Amino acid sequence: MPAGPTFMWRPGRVMSGATIALAIAILIAALLTVLWTTGRSMPTTGSSVANIGHLVRMSAIQAGLSTALSIFTGVIIAWMLDRLRFPGRGLVVGLLSTALVLPSLVIVSGLLAIWGRNGWANLFLGPLGLPTGSSIFGFWGIITAHVILNGAFAGRIFIDRLAAIPSEKIKLGRSLGLSSWRRFAIIDASALVSSIPGVAATVFLLCFTSFAIVLTLGGGPANQTLEVAIYQAVRLDFDLGAAVNLALVQLLVCAVIIIPATTLSPPATLFGRRSTLHWPEPGWLTVLQAALLAALLFAFIAPLAAVLAEGMGPALLAVLNQPAFWAASATSLWIGVASAGLALALALGLAMARGLLSTSKLPRALLGLPVFTYLTVPAVVLSLGFFLLARQLGLPPSNAAPFVLVIANALLALPFVFAAIAPPLEALSARHEKLIRSLGLSSFAQWRHIEWPLMGRPIGYALAVAFVFSLGDLGVISLFGTSEFSTLPWLMYRAFGAYRTNDAEAIAAILLVLSVSTFILIPKLFDWLTHAHD
Amino acid sequence: MLTIDRLEFSYPGATTAFHFDLTIAAGEIVGLTGPSGSGKSTLFDLIAGFLTPNSGTISLDDRSILPLPPERRPVSILFQTDNLFEHLSAGTNVALGLGNAIRADDPRVADALDAMELPGLASRRAANLSGGQKQRVALARTLLRNRPILLLDEPFNGLDDATAQPIRRDIARLVVERGWHAILVSHQAEEIATMCARVYAIENGKARLVTEAGSNH
Repeated sequence: MPAGPTFMWRPGRVMSGATIALAIAILIAALLTVLWTTGRSMPTTGSSVANIGHLVRMSAIQAGLSTALSIFTGVIIAWMLDRLRFPGRGLVVGLLSTALVLPSLVIVSGLLAIWGRNGWANLFLGPLGLPTGSSIFGFWGIITAHVILNGAFAGRIFIDRLAAIPSEKIKLGRSLGLSSWRRFAIIDASALVSSIPGVAATVFLLCFTSFAIVLTLGGGPANQTLEVAIYQAVRLDFDLGAAVNLALVQLLVCAVIIIPATTLSPPATLFGRRSTLHWPEPGWLTVLQAALLAALLFAFIAPLAAVLAEGMGPALLAVLNQPAFWAASATSLWIGVASAGLALALALGLAMARGLLSTSKLPRALLGLPVFTYLTVPAVVLSLGFFLLARQLGLPPSNAAPFVLVIANALLALPFVFAAIAPPLEALSARHEKLIRSLGLSSFAQWRHIEWPLMGRPIGYALAVAFVFSLGDLGVISLFGTSEFSTLPWLMYRAFGAYRTNDAEAIAAILLVLSVSTFILIPKLFDWLTHAHD
Repeated sequence: MLTIDRLEFSYPGATTAFHFDLTIAAGEIVGLTGPSGSGKSTLFDLIAGFLTPNSGTISLDDRSILPLPPERRPVSILFQTDNLFEHLSAGTNVALGLGNAIRADDPRVADALDAMELPGLASRRAANLSGGQKQRVALARTLLRNRPILLLDEPFNGLDDATAQPIRRDIARLVVERGWHAILVSHQAEEIATMCARVYAIENGKARLVTEAGSNH
């Protein structure tokens, strides 16, 4: 028997984390129960169920191909950026970071501006007798949009992996005179291989559950994913039975993928070490790399440039004169702020508790479970669960919508917010816990003096990610959006649907500017705020 | 008197058990030596409250400190590194010793820094201090807290002798002046011989007295 009491350090923090984890678990369990009971009580009235096999097959093929091409593109981008040094390289790397949070609808809008029927490509190719029609719609349009977003995301993570190669390995390789190919095979590949399964699993799930891109570029039932089929079953057919069956299949498939994927190394946060040792390739290869990089960057930047070029013209003034735009903007902004704040509070609670339980594997694992909500329960499924729950509770969806949007978007952003703040908080705890305990600092004093000044940038980054996630969401709003209750992506989607392309492009430009400026400014603002303290 | 009486501890699943019996008088520094993993840090963690013993007592002036959580124990610790929060100023690091009313402009902070011969360094960030200055700032905080038990966990490692020597002298003086009960862990025989009245070697999980001579000065 111990000779004295065993002291629980910061019981308030541990209890807060446990309460948050429990609350999320209860919420998810309630949503799944509602989905399950509704699925059993409501027979399907449509034909969607019969197509489940086709939907799963198409989703898997599309996601598999998107993943393979995204990983390949990411490796190429990282390899080139690792070797090349040029003015603006940091800006390029920063731009790739935005790929994770860039609203999918913005990329869709950019691709349409270039490859759509009235796009730039047709404008140039038409007079040469080489019209492209509307080639961006359909299977390859979906793949293109996915690879642009996820190739940049994968590349951003792989750059950090290459930058983290110990300088001794670089020196050894250089002194051994390794050729470019051997250098890649021996040094780079071994650094990348460990992170590829984790990144691939994440990209696959993102593409498998892709909603906005498939909805707008799918071009018909042949290219539907489960997410889009759920949306259509609810909004177009009002066949809740079919929607629930599809949602359950979606959940099952995601669980089958996510369970083994959690054992793989997760994608790193976007804060990487910078290697100071530079070993460039021979001249001819450097030229080839520069040309390839320019082409790939053009593919990424061109749609964004097209969004700005098309959206910042006269169409912008027309949109700014619409009361619906201002109402949607206000809704988007306050929901973004609220969901970002909620996501941060949840992540801080979970991360602080985990930091105190460094040696307790099971409690740590339990506190980490809510983080996987996003990947196991995709946006439309989550939205459907809330939709049905609101109905069961007798709440009109319009009344429940604001709360649902805040909670669902916070949960969807949680893994990324947690990934940004948990590692530095846990590292701080591991390094200084004994000193902090022996000094007898209160939890608030610890936060105020020790953690807050060091966490400013990660917190700013986390808030920016959560805000931009919410700002660009189309999945959750898709089941709750109406003409009275609208966010900017919903307004934009409705504009597309009504062939008001100019309006949609102007909203896309506003979303792009808001997203990128938030992503750049908020982390800087918090960095400044925290450094002003001491 | 700090009394460690029949204190027993073993890590879960480990075969080695630690047994400690030790007394340290007020104003005395006791030395601890032993190879890595012998139990020196374990003893410090038991005294500081980071570990709970299986049996035995630790008492200060006949009052057990075992019921107290680490933050309420009458203990200050000087580690080898990481005694300071590098993003804070020297003054704020010292002010952390005031409890939760942390004010770097408290006159007691300046007094403590002055006493450690660090005048004018209050506003400098800890990251910008030298190794010796960092240990002096940590010592200034210890002075401000004035806890009767001082655990010195190889605090001079990494410092050159010219830097370490005056700090050793200051610690020895403070221990006597304040009546602290100090334990010094060190691998340097000369350092231990200079500072400690008695030296224990930890072997096979037990502290064995090896020297009972020497001076605190």
